Amino acid sequence: MHIAVCLCQVPDTSSVIGFVDGTIDRLRVTEVMNPYDEYALEEAVRCKERHEGSQVTVFSVAPPSAKELLRKALAMGADRAVLVEAEVWDPYQIALALSRAISSFYVDALPDLVFCGKQSTDFQNGQVPPMLAELLGIASVSAITALTFSGECLKLEREIEGGIEYLEVTCPAVLSTEKGLNVPRKTSVKAVMEARKKPIDLLPLIIDEPPYVLMSGIKAAERKKICRFVQDEKELIRILGNERALF
Amino acid sequence: MNNFLVFLEQREGVVKKASIDIWNRVQELAALSEDSAVFGILAGSADIGSLAGFLVGDGVIYHAPEERVSFCNPEYYASLVADIFEKESCSTLFFADTSLSRDLAPRLSLRLQASLLSGSLHLSATGGEDGACTRPVYSASAIASFVAQRPLRIYTLPARKADSVISLGGHITFIALELRHLESEELSAVVRRMVMCDERLDVAEAGIVVAGGRGVGGAEGFALIEKLALLLGGAVGASRPVVDEGWRPHAEQIGQTGKTVAPLLYIACGISGAVQHLAGIGSARTVVAINSDRYAPIFDVADFGIVGDLHDILPKLIVEAEEFLKRK
Repeated sequence: MHIAVCLCQVPDTSSVIGFVDGTIDRLRVTEVMNPYDEYALEEAVRCKERHEGSQVTVFSVAPPSAKELLRKALAMGADRAVLVEAEVWDPYQIALALSRAISSFYVDALPDLVFCGKQSTDFQNGQVPPMLAELLGIASVSAITALTFSGECLKLEREIEGGIEYLEVTCPAVLSTEKGLNVPRKTSVKAVMEARKKPIDLLPLIIDEPPYVLMSGIKAAERKKICRFVQDEKELIRILGNERALF
Repeated sequence: MNNFLVFLEQREGVVKKASIDIWNRVQELAALSEDSAVFGILAGSADIGSLAGFLVGDGVIYHAPEERVSFCNPEYYASLVADIFEKESCSTLFFADTSLSRDLAPRLSLRLQASLLSGSLHLSATGGEDGACTRPVYSASAIASFVAQRPLRIYTLPARKADSVISLGGHITFIALELRHLESEELSAVVRRMVMCDERLDVAEAGIVVAGGRGVGGAEGFALIEKLALLLGGAVGASRPVVDEGWRPHAEQIGQTGKTVAPLLYIACGISGAVQHLAGIGSARTVVAINSDRYAPIFDVADFGIVGDLHDILPKLIVEAEEFLKRK
């Protein structure tokens, strides 16, 4: 099987996020692999382990600093990495760059499966995976929590509002991954060393299509509230039920 | 022309409340301009008689009642929606922000070459020329605004809990939606079935959420949380450690790698308030925290707090709530 995985990096939420001149203060954040992408990569590596002769290639549209991210992916079990060096934010432009990178890498064929995280934790759009599927002209299923092979077919599960949906899909397809699908592996020192020998291809791509959406401003959210400490339960119920009429 | 198209989502024959709410909000928006008409699209068998009295204003709804299109296939649904959007010269398409629209809207963004603004907090802004959308980003530590760069736009709107009172009369016409040629083998991703989890309210859709964290101590401890949630007509939520420990299912997780909730009342029990958790409750209206640590960060975002052991406090709270509801 040919398996592609799309990765992006996001600011580590546990680091302090500050803003200067209407954009995030990059100097103060640590970039990490998008948490949802770890499930995508882990599932791809598991598929490879189940199907002999498979190859996992990771793709990222990111600044040059993302090479570290790709090294981590190689250490987790990917075979090759392709980096499209670009500073784009718009989901449409990212999907476009990814679809071109994938088409160019597989020389106009399609990989059997493309795994993506269901969304990035920074902007939480979740638009790239279905857009990529549309551009590649293939099926997509978002936010899967279970995957099993059944002959020519893949059986999938995902959480929907108030329930679970069971789906079947045939390859090729784009699958975006939700927490619960698997537990991503830890990388060993040996794997990290071996990853240094694996290739990272730099793919020059020019994205000259204008973006569909622009971010026009960003400011820190004011979340602090002044907590009123109440003495006992009766008082709390009185406030919530009477004063605020919440139930 | 500035026509609006609303995607009405049905599940098991029932049109989602969130879709009805959006239809009604779009009606308010359309009433502001003279040349706006509202259209709807509803795929799959649904009891449209039961919609009377819920949908306000004037409009035309295209309905395909066929059972075979009841389950969403994003590729096929995208064709149906794109046809109506173009036929009725619409400028803006609206979705409730659901797992279905998250698959469908990005595809339509490309097919219609329309800007897709996901999770917009305010619909009023969409009436503006620039179509700006504001919403929380970076785990709700910031608020960003986004502007559409294309003349056509798609918005997905999260459910809101406040019921607005709208009194727009009007007449809604249902028209049969002609289905394109549909061969089941053409569809590469097929929904086989859905299993709904009993009658329990989904945490993302509940008006009241009672959530437990590590402080609850174990799966058994959630009996108290469940009892209070049931009593108040709310849903149970959980923090990440609770889900990672296997005490509760992931469907109940609130926060960065879980759900974002916007209830009128959020009661956090034994939750310290890590940034990743706060990411999911940024839009909760009234926050109550119960924690034994007076300096837990959850109190910084809470309106009301009780310091103490939740195992002592919750039973008393349940008794008080029972009495309050009895008197009511």
